[in-house]
Amino acid sequence: MSGVPARASPAVQAEALYLINLLLVPGLAFLLLLLLFRRHRNSTDPLVRGHVRQTVAASLLAGLLLAGGPALMVLAGDLSRPGVWIGMVLYFVCCHGTLVLLGVFGLARALAGKPFSYPLLGRYA
Amino acid sequence: MKYQSQAVAKPYFIAAIGLFVGQIVFGLIMGLQYVVGDFLFPAIPFNVARMVHTNLLIVWLLFGFMGAAYYLIPEESERELYSPKLAMLMFWIFLIAGAVTILGYLFVPYAKLAEMTGNDLLATMGREFLEQPLPTKVGIVIVALAMLFNLSMTVLRGRKTAINLVMLLGLWGLAIFFLFSFYNPANLVKDKFYWWWVVHLWVEGVWELIMGAMLAFVLIKVTGVDREVIEKWLYVIIAMALITGLIGMGHHYYWIGTPSYWQWWGSVFSALEPIPFFMMTLFAFNMVNRRRREHPNKAAVLWALGTGVMAFLGAGVWGFLHTLAPVNFYTHGSQITAAHGHMAFYGAYVMVVITMISYTMPLMRGRAANSKTAQVVEMWSFWLMTVAMVFITLFLTAAGTLQIWLQRIAAEPMGFMAAQDQVALFYWMREISGLVFFVGLVLYITSFFIKGKEAPAD
Repeated sequence: MSGVPARASPAVQAEALYLINLLLVPGLAFLLLLLLFRRHRNSTDPLVRGHVRQTVAASLLAGLLLAGGPALMVLAGDLSRPGVWIGMVLYFVCCHGTLVLLGVFGLARALAGKPFSYPLLGRYA
Repeated sequence: MKYQSQAVAKPYFIAAIGLFVGQIVFGLIMGLQYVVGDFLFPAIPFNVARMVHTNLLIVWLLFGFMGAAYYLIPEESERELYSPKLAMLMFWIFLIAGAVTILGYLFVPYAKLAEMTGNDLLATMGREFLEQPLPTKVGIVIVALAMLFNLSMTVLRGRKTAINLVMLLGLWGLAIFFLFSFYNPANLVKDKFYWWWVVHLWVEGVWELIMGAMLAFVLIKVTGVDREVIEKWLYVIIAMALITGLIGMGHHYYWIGTPSYWQWWGSVFSALEPIPFFMMTLFAFNMVNRRRREHPNKAAVLWALGTGVMAFLGAGVWGFLHTLAPVNFYTHGSQITAAHGHMAFYGAYVMVVITMISYTMPLMRGRAANSKTAQVVEMWSFWLMTVAMVFITLFLTAAGTLQIWLQRIAAEPMGFMAAQDQVALFYWMREISGLVFFVGLVLYITSFFIKGKEAPAD
């Protein structure tokens, strides 16, 4: 089917690394994503360029949301109060689940040879 | 509809929806009893409402799976069903047996019901989800075997595809694992050990095969993507479901008296259990993104995509939340389990059955898709039920977290009932979400009666 990239396309790799960073090996997968970003951030193929740039920006945002939110709650709240734990559990599960789902949507779009913009990031491509 | 005999699916689906309404009504009654303990007491005690709520869920999903199989297998096998009469006979037997059982729960004290139905001959009652009297259990086996004979003969004489073989494998697994409901050893550890062979190996084993086959069938129809592509995905998904789900059963064996190695086996394999659900979401969205046709039944496409997302969240994310042994040590048997159970059942099985109904019902009524107005109402019902279920899950998660803190972490732990009092606010919010869910369900049923310009059948 024309327009559908090969499985090893950098667009697919970028989306897969975004998900691996969230699910399996945080940090290491992000470093690999940065390598991919260095190589393809100015690719002439808008599909590759878009997915690579979007995933790096989304990973940074994910890191901020997943680390920053709970950190704020710990700093501002009293951990001996159950309400803080309820907030943290709900926040982390919802935030992480949403970020993973967005990655799934991005990977599905990349596999179909289509662009994808993560919410909050605009059309950084 | 390509084959006349596929029409036997229709009564199965109608019965499924009717029982779904009953399930939600009893869910609302029970939800209110959490905060107003005397509500409808002694007419409907809490334990009876809970039994009816969970049993109706199982029975209506079984009706849904059977209806789906009777529609899907003839079409995949490219021939008429082996015996439509047998399918209809089994429908009436199952419906009457189910209705009598529910009436028995409601109007006969459970101990008396056990005595009346021969539980002293072979004791199988009194266990969660398997409360059915012996004759009902025997009836389920008869209905399942007759259905499997009917469907297997259809497949044997017709075309074999990955979809109908996976569906058949799932249904055979369903029937075989149900046989463990007849084994009720006196040793409580062994009892729970084998009880999970029905409960876990259904919902985290063979039902996933049924779900995968149904989703693949609908996606082929609504996207026009090559069967080869979809079948490859299906093989990988069911392989992952079985690899992770079978040994993942260990997450039920942590604290029931089984050897401690189950804490490792259960943790490792059940941590992998989100993979097939993750893949189903990717699969559904990938196929829709690669679609070669715009199917007029937009509502069915929405349900199919929603199944992937909600199954991943409910079964995958909320399952993982409390599946590791060190976490489960605290969360076991709390409202966290209820949160997971609600969203997982809705996302994985309720939604896939509705996907199948949404796709097939218009075809069985002689059109490719319902009118735009009917579809808009159906899509409203999708969003109302789905968003309500998300909130039910969130409120139960909050209730569970507070319950764990009060009962198991606080310096001076509270007793169960004292802790229940403290989480009442979340139960009220869950009940309100439940009412929104019910409104969504009413809209869903209404959508079947809305007329308008319908898309003609191919």
